[in-house]
Amino acid sequence: MANIFPRWTNTLAPKAIFLGGLVVTTLTLGVWYYFTPKYTRVGYMPTQPVPFQHSLHVQQLGLDCRYCHSFVEVSAHSNVPTTQTCMNCHTAIKAQSPKLQPVRDSYASGKPVEWVRIHRVPDYAYFNHSAHVNRGVSCVSCHGQINEMEVVWQDQPQGMAWCLNCHRNSEQFLRPVTEVTHLDWKPADLGTNPATGHPWTQLEIGSKLKAAWNVAPPVTCAGCHR
Amino acid sequence: MKRVFQHPPETPNVNGRKYWRSLGELNDTPEFRGWLEREFPAGAAEMEGDGLSRRNFLQLMGASLALAGFGLSGCRRPETYLVPYTKAVEWTIPGKNVLYATSMPRRRGAMPLVATTTEGRPIKLEGNSLHPLSNGATDPYAQCALLDLYDPDRARFFLEGGKPVDVAKFTAFMKGTRESLLASGGQGAAILVEETFSPTRDRLRAELSQEFPNLLWCVYDPLRPFNDVEATRAAFGDGVRLTHRFDRADVILSLDADFLNLDEGGIEATRDFSNRRRVASAEDSMNRLYVVENRYTITGGKADHRLRLPASQVGAFAVALGRKVAGLLGGAGAPLGNLLGAFPAEMAGRFAKQDQWLTEVAADLLAARGKGLVLAGERQPAGVHLLVQAINGVLGNVGHTVVAHASESRGGAEPTSISGLAEAIDARKVQTLFILGGNPVYNALANLNWVERQKSVPTVVRLGYYDDETSEHAAWHVPMAHFLEQWGDTRSADGTYCVIQPMILPLFGGLSDLQVLNLLLGQDPHDDPTLVRATFEEIGGKTANFPADKALAWNAFLRDGFLPGSAAPDSESGFNVGAAIGYLKANIPAQFPPPTPEGSVEVVLISDYKVDDGRYANNGWLQEMPHPITKMAWDNAILVNAATARKFGLHYANFENGDYSADGAASDNMAEITVGGTKVRAAVLLSPGHADNSVSIALGYGRRRTGRVGRHTGFDAYPLRTAQNTYFVPAARIAPVAENYQLVVTQQHQAMEGRNLVRELPVATYKENAGFIYGEDEQAKRSFVEMMGMDAHIPPNVSLYRNPSYDSIHQWGMAIDLNTCTGCNACVVACQAENNIPVVGKDQVGRGRAMQWIRIDRYYSTIEDNDPLHDPTQDEDPQILTQPVTCHHCENAPCETVCPVNATIHTEEGLNAMAYNRCIGTRYCSNNCPYKVRRFNFFNYNDRSIEPIEEGVMSHVWKGKSQAYLGPFGKNGMEESLKLVKNPNVTVRMRGVMEKCTFCVQRIEEAKITQLQVARDSNNKLVPRDSFTTACAQVCPAGAIVFGNVADPESKVSVVKRRDTDYKMLEYLNVRPRLSYQARLRNPNPAMPGAAAVGNTLLGAPANVPPAVEKEGGSEKKTHSEDPRKEAPEGQHKV
Repeated sequence: MANIFPRWTNTLAPKAIFLGGLVVTTLTLGVWYYFTPKYTRVGYMPTQPVPFQHSLHVQQLGLDCRYCHSFVEVSAHSNVPTTQTCMNCHTAIKAQSPKLQPVRDSYASGKPVEWVRIHRVPDYAYFNHSAHVNRGVSCVSCHGQINEMEVVWQDQPQGMAWCLNCHRNSEQFLRPVTEVTHLDWKPADLGTNPATGHPWTQLEIGSKLKAAWNVAPPVTCAGCHR
Repeated sequence: MKRVFQHPPETPNVNGRKYWRSLGELNDTPEFRGWLEREFPAGAAEMEGDGLSRRNFLQLMGASLALAGFGLSGCRRPETYLVPYTKAVEWTIPGKNVLYATSMPRRRGAMPLVATTTEGRPIKLEGNSLHPLSNGATDPYAQCALLDLYDPDRARFFLEGGKPVDVAKFTAFMKGTRESLLASGGQGAAILVEETFSPTRDRLRAELSQEFPNLLWCVYDPLRPFNDVEATRAAFGDGVRLTHRFDRADVILSLDADFLNLDEGGIEATRDFSNRRRVASAEDSMNRLYVVENRYTITGGKADHRLRLPASQVGAFAVALGRKVAGLLGGAGAPLGNLLGAFPAEMAGRFAKQDQWLTEVAADLLAARGKGLVLAGERQPAGVHLLVQAINGVLGNVGHTVVAHASESRGGAEPTSISGLAEAIDARKVQTLFILGGNPVYNALANLNWVERQKSVPTVVRLGYYDDETSEHAAWHVPMAHFLEQWGDTRSADGTYCVIQPMILPLFGGLSDLQVLNLLLGQDPHDDPTLVRATFEEIGGKTANFPADKALAWNAFLRDGFLPGSAAPDSESGFNVGAAIGYLKANIPAQFPPPTPEGSVEVVLISDYKVDDGRYANNGWLQEMPHPITKMAWDNAILVNAATARKFGLHYANFENGDYSADGAASDNMAEITVGGTKVRAAVLLSPGHADNSVSIALGYGRRRTGRVGRHTGFDAYPLRTAQNTYFVPAARIAPVAENYQLVVTQQHQAMEGRNLVRELPVATYKENAGFIYGEDEQAKRSFVEMMGMDAHIPPNVSLYRNPSYDSIHQWGMAIDLNTCTGCNACVVACQAENNIPVVGKDQVGRGRAMQWIRIDRYYSTIEDNDPLHDPTQDEDPQILTQPVTCHHCENAPCETVCPVNATIHTEEGLNAMAYNRCIGTRYCSNNCPYKVRRFNFFNYNDRSIEPIEEGVMSHVWKGKSQAYLGPFGKNGMEESLKLVKNPNVTVRMRGVMEKCTFCVQRIEEAKITQLQVARDSNNKLVPRDSFTTACAQVCPAGAIVFGNVADPESKVSVVKRRDTDYKMLEYLNVRPRLSYQARLRNPNPAMPGAAAVGNTLLGAPANVPPAVEKEGGSEKKTHSEDPRKEAPEGQHKV
């Protein structure tokens, strides 16, 4: 009796299974990645109603973060500046700039400028800015080099795993409280570590501060979820 | 070999007392066993309706999910916006709360408050601890005021003849009215207000009466304290107000006075009483409380000796007591003797059975001369108050525990009563009637037939918070502003001048009473403080040390919320016997009725702990709060004791051998009360400890026209209330009615087997045993309270699990003092307000799905039949204990080990935390919780409204169940205004999520972060000692709940936990709760009848009963739950 199936069909089943597995794995990984904060969030760079440049205000003019985000050290929120704050300068500087028209309109009408929100922690997580910036966590750790951005984008995924990474290894991020808003600060700026004779490294200064300030970030649910 | 741990057996004989929460428990009915053995009551986990099983539901859900399609459109975040202020708002920091002082006007004087506002909306009210009458505590009404503010059913429109009109039209109308009234000097105009003690309103009234000399000014509030005022006026003269100093009283006799009711006695009565009740060490003295009342009140629950007596006989009882006191005093009692001469001799003779009781109370009061206090209930007739004042007088208590104050002059003539107003209406003297607040159509005295009278007035202008019964018959309805929306002022009970500051603009554009009066004066309806400020400067100018800089003083006034030094001064007036005798002679027959004749029953119209006079009927938090004594939610009922119910053939819910069912529904449980031609129908509820031949029914329910929450709740008892019988109807008929009504009673929800959960002992026993420690081993050392009952027979604990090390600097713990807890429910509602706990509705409560995180267990206790102290005559006299139970935050939490998704875990600081977004709703945790404190969101209570069931779709399914959760048939989405009441720092939970007390973790985190802001680059992370507390501890007027850092040996909570009376509930389970209790102490008078049985519990003597240890082999015996951790050391553990 002749073979009904040609010889090559012998390997068909394993090949199909292998291929099928590959397709399923790829799909799974793809969907997985599609849902991760890394894909969904990082790089989100919406167009804002006013083309405000952080790089101009911070790098060129030398404004401190806290001039506009004035309550970051006392409140959970880092407040977006009021129109009044913008107009403190812009009544005199670039007072006629068309780019600033929405700000002037807002000031005249009392209707706020609606900035597009970029960083968003879910409702069930209670992030508190003041708990971080008062204890040596710099803006740059979560927001990236915002001082160099012309248009702000999301730099870090800000998911729970990412949060816990710092909460478990805070020595890798801590810096002196005075340097929190200096986004270009490097540990080496502190000079030579007398203990090693070399410039300070992040791990050295971070560990030192962590011990001195008794930094113990919460790693259980109730730290952030209430 | 399998080893099964057996719980130590219940040892009823060790403890001479039996504690039960319901009659079902007392009789151990099968229905009660059902409640006991399940984490949630039977049926709580089932779907509604007959045709919709869980399986059907899943099939439907599966199909609809498939039909809905599986799109990815929802995966991307929608664009959202950050909206800053255009100009910064003074004091406002986005994300931070701002606190303002304000006050809540109340019928006995203002409650000083501090309002927490977040971004312009008030989210929580606390007491103002700066104020002399406050200890920072509040009561359920103040807590629930917030929900009233955001009530979506509030009156929203100006109505003319029931049609919405513009505000301008109303202002024009008021202008026209003013013009026409000016011509006649106010002839034909009357104003009916509620008492608010507002000096500004008094000032406006004076201005009005200058312009309109003929204007009639009337005050009405159905529960307004009236009798003691009248008695004081008769005996002490005008302008005197008596206050009671519980902080100075050693022996207190309450004659039907529920002074621990926070509305009746105020915060200060509970605070001062509890301070004298608290026993921290063997050296502390403790006051003694005698209570005479007809139904159990929370004051009766705190009594050391309690006597059941019909309310109508309390007056005669006072006469009998007066005779005893006068007799004992001899010559010094002459003034009292003269007074008593006015009474018929027969009266004192009615109490032959209680003779020993009377003699010993009188002797005790006499022994505590100057430190005793006799009180008469607020709605007992004025004659009873007079007598009580006379008794206090001869006992030398006046000037010590009873202090006479000069009441501030209010100006103007004495306001007309509502009866006077009714007469004026009859005489056609009223053409324009302004009703500012109140709801007379619903709650006026029945003999006035107010509806018809109001209809006969040509123009009625009604300022009302709801479009209610009174608005229905008014030409104009004006929405009223909430006290958190208006400028105003008021006085607290001691006369201190307090400010009412607005926290938010009127949500629905309402006006305050001051604004309406101002309109009548031809002024603009200001919404600024001009009016109040003028009054403030006038009153302030009269106080000592008033600063010359008025602006500075005004700012201090707004900051503190009150004006120091403005309290009423003491009065020189004394008790005038002659005047008192004159008053009594005229009033004895009316005020001291004969005993209720055989075949009739006395009906007592009580004010309710929940809806007040009916004004809070639409408040879901209050409606759902279980009544402190009956534990009934959402309704009122005719309360009756078993003997009386049997006598009149009443079928009552919640009872007796087979006639009992778990959901409180019994067959034909309705009854009809007949007084003259008036009939009132209501459901009957059995209430142990009620007086014989007496029934009680609470006022304030059965509202006809109110919001969605209050409709179809309870029964209206106001038709029974007349000018003759304002508080009790001495003789009425009662008969059963063949109708059924479902009541929901929560007393069996989350029941636990009687394992000495609640502990009490006489104070003398405590003092004998204080400091005594059992056990030599450091680990096993326990105080005598810890050894009470079966705890004496428990082998040392062994844990199978590794204990986490709790070495963080903050370790949170709580202590609840059962000795001072009155069971007032303030903590239950404060927790609800703080933690965004939803209202689930009557139907869901009936299924055991109530969500409050704190429950207050109310235990009745009686002596076991086989106990030598058992006295059959005392069987109808159970005692009451209350015990708040919330999450114990066990260090070895059983709930945590069974969670498959780690949604409940322990924090470094000893909190048993819930991560809601991780919870998948297996409910294993609540199954494994020995305290039954976990609550499950069976439905989306926050997203779907609960509704009174009326005609319409599906009404047949929910027939007879009012306030039901309708699921998909209900309205979807939370009302906009109700979103504003939510605390932004607490997650709003959704369906399918377990929740429970968190020890207010949001407050803990806020305190820690605030300290981090201080610490900055230092290691000073320790939160200052006792610098914050949980919502329940903050609200507790008795100071019974203490919360803090147990790692700090000097913190308040650590100090309390070191007391000898400290014990942990179910300690033998070795779950190591962070919540501990301090045992209830009672202070019986040894000479009283039945004194030996009061609070008496034989201490568990270890030798009495053989210790209960693990049994070998599988046992047939059914156990409450099996706890593997109780097994022998690890190696032997096999499953």
